[in-house]
Parts: sequence; structure tokens; C-alpha cells
Amino acid sequence: MVVLAASIMSKNGKVLVSRQFVDMSRIRIEGLLAAFPKLIGIGKQHTYVETENVRYVYQPIEALYLLLVTNKQSNILDDLETLRLLSKLVPEYSMSLDEEGICQTAFELIFAFDEVISLGHKENVTVAQVKQYCEMESHEEKLHKLLLQNKIDETKRRMKEEASKIDQMKIEKNRGNKGGFMSSMGSGRIESSFSDMSISSGGGGGFGSGSGFGLTTDIDSFASKPKGRQPSSATAPPKGLGMKLGKNQRANQFLESLKAEGEMIVEDAQPSKLSSHIATALQPTDPVTLTAEEKLNVTLKRDGGLSNFDVQGQLSLQILNPEDGLIQVQIETGGNPGVIFKTHPNMNKELFANENILGLRDPTRPFPTGQTGDAGVGLLKWRMQSADESMVPLTINCWPSVSGNETFVSIEYEASSLFDLRNVMISVPLPALREPPSVRQIDGEWSGAMEFVVPPADSSSFFPISVRFSATSTYSELKVVNILPLKGGAPPKFSQRTQLVTENYQVV
Amino acid sequence: MEKSCTLLVHFDKGTPAIATEIKEALEGSDVSAKIDAMKKAISLLLNGETLPQLFITIVRYVLPSEDHTVQKLLLLYLEIIDKKDQKGRVLPEMILICQNLRNNLQHPNEYIRGVTLRFLCRLNETEIIEPLIPSVLQNLEHRHPFIRRNAILAMMAIYKLPHGDQLLVDAPEMIEKVLSTEQDQSAKRNAFLMLFNCDQDRAINYLLTNVDKVSEWGELLQMVVLELIRKVCRTNRGEKGKYIKIIISLLNAPSNAVIYECAGTLVSLSSAPTAIRAAANTYCQLLLSQSDNNVKLIVLDRLNELKSSHREIMVDRIMDVLRALSSPNLDIQRKTLDIVLELITPRNINEVVLMLKKEVMKTQNGELEKNGEYRQMLIQAIHSCAVKFPEVASTVVHLLMDFLGDSNVASAIDVAIFVREIIETNPKLRVSIITRLLDTFYQIRAARVCCCALWIIGEYCLSLSEVESGIATIKQCLGELPFYSISEEGEAPTDASKNSQQPSSVTVSSRRPAILSDGTYATQSAASETAFSPPTIVQGSLAAGNLRSLLLTGDFFLGAVVACTLTKLVLRLEEVQPSRVEVNKVSTQALLIMVSMIQLGQSPVLSHPIDCDSYDRIVLCVRLLCSTGDEVRKIWLQSCRQSFVKMLSEKQLRETEELKAKAQVSYAQPDDLIDFYHLKSRKGMSQLELEDEVQDDLKRATGEFIKDGDDANKLNRVLQLTGFSDPVYAEAYVTVHHYDIVLDVTVINRTTETLQNLCLELATMGDLKLVERPQNYTLAPESSRQIKANIKVSSTETGVIFGNIVYEASNVLERTVVVLNDIHIDIMDYISPAVCTDAAFRSMWAEFEWENKVAVNTIIQSEKDFLDHIIKSTNMKCLTAPSALDGDCGFLAANLYAKSVFGEDALVNVSIEKQLDGKLSGYIRIRSKTQGIALSLGDKITLKQKGGS
Repeated sequence: MVVLAASIMSKNGKVLVSRQFVDMSRIRIEGLLAAFPKLIGIGKQHTYVETENVRYVYQPIEALYLLLVTNKQSNILDDLETLRLLSKLVPEYSMSLDEEGICQTAFELIFAFDEVISLGHKENVTVAQVKQYCEMESHEEKLHKLLLQNKIDETKRRMKEEASKIDQMKIEKNRGNKGGFMSSMGSGRIESSFSDMSISSGGGGGFGSGSGFGLTTDIDSFASKPKGRQPSSATAPPKGLGMKLGKNQRANQFLESLKAEGEMIVEDAQPSKLSSHIATALQPTDPVTLTAEEKLNVTLKRDGGLSNFDVQGQLSLQILNPEDGLIQVQIETGGNPGVIFKTHPNMNKELFANENILGLRDPTRPFPTGQTGDAGVGLLKWRMQSADESMVPLTINCWPSVSGNETFVSIEYEASSLFDLRNVMISVPLPALREPPSVRQIDGEWSGAMEFVVPPADSSSFFPISVRFSATSTYSELKVVNILPLKGGAPPKFSQRTQLVTENYQVV
Repeated sequence: MEKSCTLLVHFDKGTPAIATEIKEALEGSDVSAKIDAMKKAISLLLNGETLPQLFITIVRYVLPSEDHTVQKLLLLYLEIIDKKDQKGRVLPEMILICQNLRNNLQHPNEYIRGVTLRFLCRLNETEIIEPLIPSVLQNLEHRHPFIRRNAILAMMAIYKLPHGDQLLVDAPEMIEKVLSTEQDQSAKRNAFLMLFNCDQDRAINYLLTNVDKVSEWGELLQMVVLELIRKVCRTNRGEKGKYIKIIISLLNAPSNAVIYECAGTLVSLSSAPTAIRAAANTYCQLLLSQSDNNVKLIVLDRLNELKSSHREIMVDRIMDVLRALSSPNLDIQRKTLDIVLELITPRNINEVVLMLKKEVMKTQNGELEKNGEYRQMLIQAIHSCAVKFPEVASTVVHLLMDFLGDSNVASAIDVAIFVREIIETNPKLRVSIITRLLDTFYQIRAARVCCCALWIIGEYCLSLSEVESGIATIKQCLGELPFYSISEEGEAPTDASKNSQQPSSVTVSSRRPAILSDGTYATQSAASETAFSPPTIVQGSLAAGNLRSLLLTGDFFLGAVVACTLTKLVLRLEEVQPSRVEVNKVSTQALLIMVSMIQLGQSPVLSHPIDCDSYDRIVLCVRLLCSTGDEVRKIWLQSCRQSFVKMLSEKQLRETEELKAKAQVSYAQPDDLIDFYHLKSRKGMSQLELEDEVQDDLKRATGEFIKDGDDANKLNRVLQLTGFSDPVYAEAYVTVHHYDIVLDVTVINRTTETLQNLCLELATMGDLKLVERPQNYTLAPESSRQIKANIKVSSTETGVIFGNIVYEASNVLERTVVVLNDIHIDIMDYISPAVCTDAAFRSMWAEFEWENKVAVNTIIQSEKDFLDHIIKSTNMKCLTAPSALDGDCGFLAANLYAKSVFGEDALVNVSIEKQLDGKLSGYIRIRSKTQGIALSLGDKITLKQKGGS
């Protein structure tokens, strides 16, 4: 995909202009261009020539040839487009399309070529854009010159004022730029880890080997947004490669057939160096970051009922710059009566109790700052316990039943409307098997069911079922409303993150 | 590494600019004069002048200029000047330009910033770049995309410099950050390109994090993604599973360029049938949807590659490929047919032939100028189909026979040859073909086609009725006897005057021996020779009979063929006709025809009389019919057919042998890596594919990839340029590349004085050109120096380089000159063996103007040895089949062919005979389009032919 050079030469082989876009010696480029006129045949209806090493793509313009020298693997479609653009540019700059005309405007042409091809790669530009780039009319420069003029005309004092204003403008402009720069950081990554709903059996290799691993059938990741999905019954495909629903059918077939032919396909490839990079990607970029996180510990009984329900929450604060340390945090809670709050010992308890403001007992002391530790400083903790089954975000009903020499396992799950659950993963342990379980039926969105069949097994071997998920709303519904700077001035920008995650969520 | 050259501008030597004028204009305040002067200065620099004093002028007067064009020209100037001294250190004065560059990088005009950043991409001196880095980084966040684009590229270029990663330690992180927020397509592409080149892991990481959005990215970015995937997968095959999904999603991209690239990537990544199928499908789609001939041809090349590596998959696509025939371009049609012909199988043959037939039919009604040639191609294609799968012959042969009377002689001959082969190989079709041929014979217009058709009639009319109607047809086509009568003599003068209008050279040429395709001599009449320049439409009314009108033009070779055919038919009639009377009757009629032809040949009506060969042959036929014998009958009725059968089988044998040879090549070598499917279950991941093709491709294109032969070889080419006792000793070794010659000259000062202004002046003869102007050097006593000279070559010719070494010694004022030995450049470095078809060789032979005839003069005794010696010493390819060179008959004729790197053809015909005294005699003729090759090759052969040494 590399254009080595763009050149114009006369029909009798004289090189008029040539601009090279990669490093090559003079003798080489001259040799290539000298060979070109001998290579083009007469009466051909195509306009490219290939030699052992390079390809020439050319276009006759009156008594001239406009040509691109490319490597042989270069994309012909791209190159032709570049050539077309260049052929439109040449008459724009050169009045007469003959040797003389080109020689006169050689440098202008070189400037124009530079705008179309950068380091051998094509740019997406139009003729009008190239002309604009080459004319170099700059509004900013005019402005700049005007200001310069004013400076000279006005008195020294006036000049100073003006200068400070410009400085001010510059600072503001810079700040504006920076802000826009950072706001969209890190949003791309979370999305990508949602995959469509799929049931995949972990570790395809283990199935065939019969080594008796306790395999798990995962119901992987519900997508939160509803998509048109038809319930379908299916048997597990051979080779334990898993089954996917609702994907692009064509691509799917394609992949399947590739796999069958022995290609190794990794679906949903994850970035390899993820761990080190998430850290950088999630680095707080706002001066103040507040994180409210709730951890859920739930134990459900397999025959229904709740044996344990415990929510533990924490609000932590992270400040980047020491100058932003003197602040107080105004919060708002959802008024859930089951939630019991507890502040950090250094906090002003009364302020919190009366006005829901978190501030240090000693108002002259700043909050600790810095990026060390990803959690920041804990300000507030809370706890909630309940025996109310309606508080459980996801209920699971699992019925193994033995019939003949098979065990049918029916699993039903239902999400409560309290939360929008993400990245849901339900792991069902299996007894040691030789073959993958055959999945008879699967459907569902918010609630759903699945049935699979395995050889006869003790019903207790399918427990404990463990569940993992995350959500963006919490039980406490705690929100940071505002940041109150103690030393006056504009409140620093802050960002808040709210997250509910499972710590231990099991059906026993 | 040689200095890279970034631009070329034609330099008009007619109006040389003078350095002082330029200087004045630069110092003045007139902007347009300044611009002109800068342009002139750059042109002069490109032409090899050094203009060292100009730098300071430019720093003083041009650097501060506010004009944009001046600034841009200044950047070009800085681009091409030498920024380093001879030891590779940056010149101290270069620091002067740093401040200017820094100002430009902070210029309020965004375009000035942009072009300055772009200039930095071409700058290699870290010493100059280092102080500019903070300014470059600032521009990374500028609000104008034009600046950001170029800033990213500049960072990439700087990071890639030696030690560049230390100048910009955290560049990849910065660019990664930029990439995540950047909105401008081009800047985004550049950022990704930068990561790809400088920190591949980061690029991969970014790609995998955004895997879902790849299909929404801009075309530019997608192209780089594909490039990245190819690169990653080449170095790390195991990874490719991750990427196949991305490629599949990009196969549906809106941009054709991306789709094309995807298909290429897929092929390079995997050899699984599904992947190849998808790629082939994509190519076929592009083949049909793209109207540009270039694209079609290149896509056909790709399909051709797929065909050789994955034939079984391409077989399924055959009909899709065949649809490309709808393009009116002959090259496309030819390429398409070439691909298709190698893909036919018993399963698809019928479909293919049906399509080809339809195409042939189409050429009949449309009146396109290229139809004739296209039809010929189609007929040849059908022919080879029919040879491979004889069962289809019956369906096409009758259709094709309609074209025997085609005005395009070449395609008519192809049909005739096709019919001749089919009638022998498909005995079932014989009766119907003969009937048809006799019915359509009168339509045939060309003499050569008539000859072939007559041979078929003579050979394959077997039954009584066939023989009789065969004789009747010939008689009918000859018309009333005699061919010429007294009454016609009255018209003769007009006829003769008409004939005499033909240039006399035709008559002369008819006496000249012609060289047949195998290189042997033959006497041929003028009429049949002109038939070589198609299309020939033979004049003459149909009513008079086609054979008659041809004979009346003086084509007696055809007359001889008619005579032979009649003889053969009469001899056969004797076998099948029980009635002796009938046979005799027919026999006398035949004799009458032959005698009439001889009579015509000797009459003054025609401008030239019958040639001896034809005369002998007709007389032989007359004698034979008068006294037949079993021996003769056997020769005429059986041996003739047998040798034809033998020819066919030999042709087939040669083809199968070629196929075998081809098949043999692809077998694995003894120490090749073998993938066991069952053990590995990952087809198409052979380690053999690891080579970095793209990189090599690029390197080869930029000429970086020149294989240096071993040093011993290099030393063989050392040439001594001056004598040992000369004050300056010089020797050179000559390296010949494709388009250039590099002389590495070692110059040694043998005196005890310092030599000043020592200059190696070279001049060239032939198509050679010096690239750079010579420089002056100072050589200390007894010291030596290496001087490099580049010489450009633009055609294959024996070139000569000669020159002087000029110097001044300190105590002598005048310049001393030492003349150098000449350096001769060998043509053999430029030509390589090549293959062309017989017909192409003959048409080139007829067309080329330059002939060099070298008389054979050698001590080699055997013809074959001599030919081998010539082939070896000229580096040419023998086109004549080895079977034709077999045997020991005392003479030998062969055609040799080669092509130069500049695409010139070199033709050689060797015709030798062994004399009675055991010596070889004869001529070697060289023909070429340009004088150079004919002369140089002739010199070469004269020099080498002696042999023996």
C-alpha cells in the first residue's frame, strides 16, 4: 500500500517532475523512470505496467505521462483513485499541459502532490481541499497579524493590556481543548466486553479427553438491551465449540466452516495486555473522582428462600492535585431504611447527619491526594441486610430430574426489575462427563429458561450454582450532588462512578 | 546506504542560472524574484552543483521572509542540501535553521505549521530535531486537524530514527491517547500507523479493544488495520484466529479498495477452503463490478495466483471468471481464457464450451474491429478444450467449420488445424466432418486454409462416394479448363499490366528462400508469403471458384497441393472403385488438371513463372498417376497418415511432459516441513509461510534489496584503470544492477606530493549517462581514496566508459591528466532467456529492421555442440524443440530468443551445415528493433563463437 513516487514525464521519456515518498536513491528512481517509456506497449487498453519489482500506474495527459510508481502489492483500487485525483490537480496548477508548462510549475505541483500522498499513504482529500491547503490562507494568521499591527500602533500601556488579554485567551483556549480531550476517555472499553448471549462450554479440549474435570456450563453475559432473538432448541455442536444465538448468520457459518477445516478461531478476542492497560485506561482524569461501590453477598437456597443477603457499600474519594484538597462533598441518599451509614472517624459526623455533607473534622486540613491506590480514601461505609426475597436481583430455580438413564436439568432464572444487570454469568457445576451436555432448549431475556441433558447424576452435583454480574445502580442510591470548595472559587470538576458488583452470590 | 533522493525536477541546461544572480535576487526584497531564485537554486542543487556559499545568504535573507511560498521552498531546499560533513557529523551551521523551524512550528498559520511538520518527517539528523521536540508535541493537540495529522506523522518519523525512541520516550502512549479521542479520519489513520510502526502491541491492543467498531471506521484506517493483521500474523501465526473475524466483517465494507485488500489478507493468512473461497468470491465480484481495465487485469492476476495454489476451489468459480469475457478488452479476454483453460474438468467442460460457443456466435454479428482476434482466441480455447475432452468436439466442430471461410486468415487457419486434429482423434466424426467440409469448401478464401483443407480431403475421403464428391468439389472449384487460353491472351496485356503494378520486390522475394518456422529454408511463392500478414482477403469472384482465382494470382504452391490431393484421391479410388474404366476416366481428368497448371505456370500470362519446387512436385504427381506401384501407393495412402498420427502423439507427449515437469516442481523438498493434519489440526499454518513478503516487496521496489554477490565474485570484476608507474594509480570494480552501473574506484597517490583538485572525469558512449557531476578531492602523499560513480543505463547496448584523472600538484601550475583504460559494459548482464510463440517470433522477425549477419567460423565440429555453445555464451533460450534438433543429418537450424531488462527483444537464427571436410559453415542472424542489440550481440557472438578454449 505504498506509493513510491509520483512523477510527470514527457512522452519521449524526459522526467519533468518527480516526488518520492519513501527513501530511495537517486539512481534507483531515475532508473525506474527511464525504464518506464520502454515498458508501455502500444495500443493497450490498460494503464499499468508491472516489472519484477515495481508497478507503474499511469495516465496520459496530452503530451505527458502522469505516473505513480508503487510496489507490487500495492492496492490498485487505491492507487487508481490517487492517480485520478492527481490528474485533476495537474491542470489546476499547470496552465499548459506540455513540457514547458510543467517545468514552470514544477514546485507548485510538488507541493500539491505532498498534500495527496503522505509517506506513501493516500490521503482522503478533494481537489478543493488541496487547493485550500496550498493557498495557505489562514484566518488565524490574519488575526495574529492584526493584533501585531495593533500592538505597534497603540501605546505601551495599551499594548500590555492587550497582551495580557491574549494570554488570557490562550489559557482559556488551552483549557477548553484539554477538557474536550479527556471527557471521552475510557468509555470504549467497557462496551466491548459485552458479548451477545451465548452458552459456551469452557475448555473445549477437556470434553473430548474425558479426564473428568468438573466442567461448567456458563450462561454468559446477557446483553442489557433487548434484541430480537428467537427461542430455539439446539443440540450442542460437535467438538464442544459452543453455540451462539442471534449473531450474524453469515459470518457465523463462515467461522464454523473455517473451524471445521481446522482454522483456529478466537471469538471475542480480548486485548492481551489488558491488565496493565485497563489501569491506564481507567486512570482518573478529572481532578476529583468519587466512587460508590456496593458488594453483594447473597446465598439462596436451592428449594427457594433466602439464607443470607448482605450489601456492603463504600464511598471513596480520589483527588489528583493537592490544591483541590480543601473540599466538602454534598451527597444524597435514596432513603432506603435498611441502609445503615457509618462515616470515617476523621469525618465531621454532625455535618453529615444534619446536612448530608461529608467534610473533615478539621476544616483546615485537606483530603489526602495522589493517585496511589486505585480505591482512594474511604469516606463513608454502609451496610444493609435483609430477609426480604423481593430484594434479590436475580433468582434462580434449578431442577435436576432423573429420567431413565438421563438427568434433565432445567434452570429458570428471573431478574428483578430493580436493576439493570450486566455481564451476567451463571456457572453450573457438572459431574464428570465424557461428552458435553446436550442443550435441549434455551431462551430468555430478562427471565428465561434452559434445559440440558447429562447422563444420570446426583442432583446435588449441580450445586452450588454461582452467579456473577454487575450493575450501575445501587441499593443505597447514594449520589454525589456537589463538591463544595472551602477556600471559595469555582468548584473543581468531579466525576463519580457508581457500581454494584457481586462478591459471593450462590445458590446452594 | 546511499543518500535518498526526495524530488526530481527537470533541469533545462539551455539557461543556466548563475550563482551570483541567484544570490542577488535572494538578498533583494522582491518576493517573486526571491521565489524564482529559490527555485533556481534548488534546480541547480538537484543537478549536482553544491553552491556552498549560498547557505549563509539563505539563512540571512530567506529565513526571515514572511511569504508562505518562500518558506515552503526553503523547506525543500533544506530537504535536499547535505546536512552532514564527510565524517557523518552534522554541520555546525545547521543550528542556524533550528530557530526558524521552531518559529514555523509555532506559526499562527496552520499550514506553515503543517508543512514544517511534514518536512520533519524527511529529516534524519537528530541533532537538529532534538530542540524542536517540545514544539512538535504542542502541535499534537492543536485544534486544526491538518496540523495534528502531520504532527503525528512527524512523531512517527522521529521515533523511527536511530535513537529516536530516546528522544520521544513516551510517544506511543501519547499517540494512543490521541487515537482514542481523535475524530479526523486521516489523523486517526496516521496515529494508528504510528502505533503500528513504533509499538505494535499497543496497536493490537487498540484494535482488539475496538473490535466491534472496525467496520465503522474510515476506509484509510481499515486499510492500515488489514496491513497490521497481515504483519502480526506473519510473525506470529498462532495469533491469527483472533483476526479472522475482523477480516470477515471488513469483507462487507463499502469501499472496494478495502474489500480487495481483505481478500488478499485472507489468502495470505489462511489456506482453509472457506477462506480461499471467500477471497475468490470477492475477487470475482470485483472483476464484474469494476469497470476499470487495470483493476480487472490485476484481479485476474490474483485469481491466477489462487488458481495455482488452490485449484480445486477455483474450479467451482470457473463460470464466474468466465463472465469477465464480456469485457471488450483483448488482454482481459486472453487472461480470462488462460485461467479458465486450466480449470476445466469433466464436470464443467460442457458449461464452459457452451459459453465459449455463445461468445463465438456473438463475434459473428457485432462488428467490432477486434472481433477477428478475439474469435481466434476463442477458437484456440475451444481447440484445447476439445483436445483435453474429446467428447465435446462433436458439439463444436460443426459450428467452427462455419469459420473456415472467415476473412480473418489466422482464425480460419486455427479452425482448419483444429478440424484436422479432430478428424484424426475422433474417428466417429469423420463422415460428418468430411461431408461438411466438402459442402463449405468453396467458401474458403485463403490459400493456406485451402492447403490444409485439401490435405484433409485427400487423407480422409475413404468411401467411394466421398472420394468421388471430393474430386468433384476440387474440380468445381478449379472451374473450366484450361486456366488460360488463346482468347485470354488478348486480355493478357491488361492483366499483365495489372500485375506489373505490384512492386517488383514481390517477384524478387518470391525467388528468395524463406525460413520456415523450424528454421529450415523453403521456396515459397509470393502469394502465400503475403498471407502471413493477416487479414488477407483474397480477391476473385466466387463464381470462378476459389482455387482457380488463387491459382491465377500465381500461387503454385497451392497448385502443387491440389495435384497431390488429386493423386491421393485417385489412388484411393483405385481401391474402392471396382470399375477400372471409371478409375481411368477420373485419372485422366486429374492428369489434365495438373498439366493445365504446369501450362499456366509456364505461360507468359502471369508475371512470374512457376517455381521449381512446385513444378517438380506436380510433375512427380503426373508421373505417379501414369505408373502406379504398390510401394508408392503405400507411401501416399498410409505413411502420410502415419506421420501425422506420430506428430499428434508427439505433441501430446510434449504437453504431458510439460505438465509432469510442472507438477514435479510443486513437490515437497526432502527437508521440507510437513504438517500432519491429525497431529496439528491446523491446516495452512505452515512455518514456511513466515517470510515477510510485504517488507521484501517494498525493499525490492526501492532498490534496497540488492543481493551482494560473494566478495570473490566481486574481485573478478576488478579493472585496472591506470598503470602501476603512473603518478596516480586507479582501479575500479564494476557492479551492474538493472538500471544502473556503480563504479567503485580506488585512487592511490603514488607520488610524495599532495595532489590537489583531483577529479575523476568520466565520459560515456552508448546509452549510458553519468548521474552526478564529479567532485574535486585533495589527496595526501601515498594516500588512497574511494570514489563512487553512478552511471545510468537506459537500453541494452555495449556501452563504453572512458575518462581521465585530472589533478594539480602543488609546485606545478597546470593540470596534469592521466588517461584511463576503457571500461566495456557487457550486454550479457542485461539480457535473459525468454520464451515466445512461434508466430510471435516470426512476426517480430519480419518486422524488425536491424539485422546483423555473422558468418560461422568455429573449430567446433558438431552442429549440436556449436548450438549449445552459442546458447551458453549469449544467454538465450532455444525456441526450437529438441526433437527437431535430434538426429545427425549434417545441418541444423534453430531460433534463439531473449529479452532485455528494458523489454527489448533479441532474435537469433542459427543455420549451419556440416561441410565435407568436417567443418561447420553457415550464418548466425541477429535481428532486433534497435541497432544497439543487433550490434552488441553480433560482437559478442563473433568474439565467442570460435569456441574450443
